[in-house]
Amino acid sequence: MDNIFAFRRNNRPARNHRLALGTSLSLLLLTVSAPAFAAGTVAGTDIQNIASATFDSPVGPVTIDSNTVVIKVDELLDVTVVTTDPGDVITNPGQTGNVQAFRITNTGNGDEAFSLVANTANGGDDFDPSLQQIIIDSNNNGVYDAGVDVVYVAGSNEPVVAPDQSKTIFVITSTPAGVANGNRANVSLLASAVTGTGTPGTSFAGQGQGGGDAVVGSTGADAQASSFLAVQSASVTLTKSATIADPFGGQRPVPGAIVTYRLVATVSGAGTLNNLAINDPIPAGSTYQAGSLTLQVAASPATTLTDAADADAGNFNGTRIAVSAGNVPAGETRTVTFRVVIQ
Amino acid sequence: MIRGLVRTAFFVAFCAVIGPAYAQGPLQLASDVFVEREIAKPDGTKAKLLEEPKTVVPGDQLVFVVRYKNVGTATASNFVVTNPMPRAVRFDGTADGAELVSVDGGKNWGALATLRIAQSNGGDRAATSADVTHLKWNFNQPLSAGAEGKLIFRGVVR
Repeated sequence: MDNIFAFRRNNRPARNHRLALGTSLSLLLLTVSAPAFAAGTVAGTDIQNIASATFDSPVGPVTIDSNTVVIKVDELLDVTVVTTDPGDVITNPGQTGNVQAFRITNTGNGDEAFSLVANTANGGDDFDPSLQQIIIDSNNNGVYDAGVDVVYVAGSNEPVVAPDQSKTIFVITSTPAGVANGNRANVSLLASAVTGTGTPGTSFAGQGQGGGDAVVGSTGADAQASSFLAVQSASVTLTKSATIADPFGGQRPVPGAIVTYRLVATVSGAGTLNNLAINDPIPAGSTYQAGSLTLQVAASPATTLTDAADADAGNFNGTRIAVSAGNVPAGETRTVTFRVVIQ
Repeated sequence: MIRGLVRTAFFVAFCAVIGPAYAQGPLQLASDVFVEREIAKPDGTKAKLLEEPKTVVPGDQLVFVVRYKNVGTATASNFVVTNPMPRAVRFDGTADGAELVSVDGGKNWGALATLRIAQSNGGDRAATSADVTHLKWNFNQPLSAGAEGKLIFRGVVR
């Protein structure tokens, strides 16, 4: 207890100490409602303390008030950033417009603007996408609305976030053409309090909301989070085999023998391969056997395709067969068969 | 109301004679607030320091000191000190535990453990230190001329 008085002897009163005869202030305090913020008392709030005493004196009961001590609550600068992507964001080689979502939350106690920096060149990953834009979710629906949500321009429209509130930010990138299936890229977003950042406890005199100081909180007033892009391109392999049935019950490639060609397209990787087309020229020295073209979708029974270029998926134009196998999910096969007769 | 009138009358009469010094008269009452900071010392231990509240942020520990002194020539009896808790500060105990508290704006008083808070569902719950709205010290002995002391309580910035 003694150190309290020692302190007072050795130090000038702080500038926030205001001496006042707060007769009315003490009554006012009873009616002011409490600011209920989970992030704490809002910056700029005055904490006013006054004590009163009553006693009986020779002239009757007396009430006196102490001086009023006024302390302004300073602004705490704190922020957190998380990604709201549920997992890797799927991309393809050369794809533009990858959208990765982040949420920045003001965990301080004052309205604060945050500058944003996206880093697409983090180490420890497989490729570096190109940054296209940083987008502010200006209609606060958590979904990127192209042309509606506002493009972030550093130094111009830093989003201001109220205490305990969040803002969603989208980072839009493009994927280089040369990436391989399975490659991943770390895209991070850094949000920094515009007032200032630094080691916790660093203060910026007079720069807090409400006229007090701004003080860097435990987060350092900046935070970043990562979201990953993953290349999950589908690829196709085509395997061709032939079986021969000669007119003599054997398997020799002699004139008159019927060769059945079997083309198996296997889609691997992830995602879907769109508009798979399987074409094969009829080998020289052989003749296409009319009506022999079939398509088997995955494990379903094979269906026969007409030779005409019509509504079904295949045709024979005199020199080659062609089958449009459509969009094929990874892990499935499309099998085409046709027959030729060796001349 | 009467108390307020008495106070105002006393105050006006007093100012007319002496001028705008505070808490003069037969009794002096002074309030101070400090921030308690924990600092790491070079030897690895931690020490607590009381500082002037230059910067204060939510979560900071405050120490309130109310000093009183009878500077008159007569004994003051029925001496009572009251301190409303600032709304932005959560009560965090006193040095001696001799205080009475109120959790309803000063209407009812008691030891914290005896007070209850009405709930919206019709029931009630035990009051906690976060509910405290006022502190009060009843001195059971007269304060003789020249006697002084101090009351200390703690709070945390909400």
